[in-house]
Amino acid sequence: MIRMLRLVGLSIWRQSLSQWSWRSFLITIVIGQSVTPLLGLLVWSAALPGDSQVSTYYVALLAVQLMTASYEHHTLSNGIYDGTLARALVQPQPVVIDVIGSNLGLRIWHLIFGLPLIAIAAVVAGAQIDVYEGMLALPAVVIAGALRFVFTYLLALSALWTERAHGVVGLGETLIFLLGGTAAPLGYLPEPFRSVGQALPFWSMLGLPAEIAAGTIHGAALSQAYAVQLGWLVVLTALAAVIWRVGLRRFAAVGA
Amino acid sequence: MPFETGPDSDPVVVISELGMTYHAPVRTAGLKAAFRALWRREYQRIEAVADVSFRLTAGEIVGFLGPNGAGKTTTMKILSGILHPTGGEALVLGYTPKRRQPAFLKQIALLRGSQPIDGPIELTVLDNLHYRRLLYDVPQRQFQTNVDELTDMLDLESLLLRQVRALSLGERMRAGLAVALLHRPRVLFLDEPTIGLDASAAMAFRRSIATYASRTAATVLLTSHYMTEVEALCSRVILIDKGRLRYDGNLAALATHLSPYKLLRVTTADISEPVAWDSYGEPENSDPNQCAPNQVILRVHRQDAPRITSRLLAEVPIADLTVADPPLETVMDEFYRAGVA
Repeated sequence: MIRMLRLVGLSIWRQSLSQWSWRSFLITIVIGQSVTPLLGLLVWSAALPGDSQVSTYYVALLAVQLMTASYEHHTLSNGIYDGTLARALVQPQPVVIDVIGSNLGLRIWHLIFGLPLIAIAAVVAGAQIDVYEGMLALPAVVIAGALRFVFTYLLALSALWTERAHGVVGLGETLIFLLGGTAAPLGYLPEPFRSVGQALPFWSMLGLPAEIAAGTIHGAALSQAYAVQLGWLVVLTALAAVIWRVGLRRFAAVGA
Repeated sequence: MPFETGPDSDPVVVISELGMTYHAPVRTAGLKAAFRALWRREYQRIEAVADVSFRLTAGEIVGFLGPNGAGKTTTMKILSGILHPTGGEALVLGYTPKRRQPAFLKQIALLRGSQPIDGPIELTVLDNLHYRRLLYDVPQRQFQTNVDELTDMLDLESLLLRQVRALSLGERMRAGLAVALLHRPRVLFLDEPTIGLDASAAMAFRRSIATYASRTAATVLLTSHYMTEVEALCSRVILIDKGRLRYDGNLAALATHLSPYKLLRVTTADISEPVAWDSYGEPENSDPNQCAPNQVILRVHRQDAPRITSRLLAEVPIADLTVADPPLETVMDEFYRAGVA
């Protein structure tokens, strides 16, 4: 386990160094990731003027979006297409280590480049994040990050079967946008849409930590939300492990 | 085609009746066929490797030759654990490669000329070596010794602190080789390692491989289309074509094995006297750069060579006469174009 953590740390260092070399592009993708939460903030602030909770929610959502952004269709899928996977298979470490390293490296840069944007949005929108609520949301952010990584990784594995993995991941991103709390905060939806949305994995990936930070979830509902989030993490991780094995067998059979 | 087996003692790599079959989707042209293929796909069976058997022992440098698409890279990928064979068995250092056990992977290295060095190109060569040390659990003291040796062997001193992105192709290959050898692999798979290198860089690379193999008794399996490289490094070659093994044996005997011809280089003492060369053999010296005006190269059947030589010596004023096998490059070219089956 210690060796694994060291390898992940090493991979973050290697990948983030590499990512720094295309920092101008990084800034553009950070802006790209910020567009939908900021649009949500504008639209919902206009729809519900004076509601500080919705402003706080969208500022928190912006931060969560940047801290959970996943690009496995660019790292893993492209690696499958260009032969990097074959080289990775010859190394004495699980292939996923470098994928995780790349993911975390990108998130660090997203946060660094996105911090001024979050700060400006918070001041302009009058967001009020309570320190206690913020701390309460931290575990949810970590789990959301893991969940979104596993989800995107799972979809990116489609590259072992098709040349259109980017499209598959794009579909997943659209679902996260629609059902994860960006298009509309789930708390504002009528039943049964709200309950269904909360039971699906997308809200756990994005909207849940933002709602906790905005102070809209407390008590039993909070515990239940954490249970759903952890449950999805277990399910998707198990599914990703199975798909990886099946996909690897296919790759090993045809060279992909 | 006779089959010569490799040495039996102390095998490091053992391949037995290895097979790799793909099923590639096929369809006829046209919109109708495209629609039909949506629900009823047809596949073509492609035998990338079929019934290939050989053994490699410790310290051997073996050339693995064949035309493009012959199955060389597929075999190497099977031996390094990337591909799973559909038939037969492969053992490397006693491990089954497809299991990709860390203990196995830590003892091999695969170096491809098309991608000599992995990872972010922003890192320096020394960064890559440090990363390799941690990845392969090379003890710090051993690491320093190995880096010193590799620096000396590959003339790396001036490259260590440079970013990979700033290296030329030859420098990248040297750096890539250093990274690949850092953990002292016992088996080295080299897939067209000198592709694109200039003559000097390629020669330096060959020297390094020969030095490494002699120092560590590592087994090296080398694929290359450069016959000079194979001649410089390998005493044994394995020839594969259309997935099937065609020859496994001594490099020196390969030309004899593949080509039914000998080349007689004849230098005449008197160029004013016309000679009917066609009556002795097939004249080859169309290239004036290869021959002087009083020289001719005759291509004759191997079994006829002694008789033709005697006739030439008796009938033509000869200043010099040499009998040789055709260049390996030419033999391989003929083999690739025509096959030997």
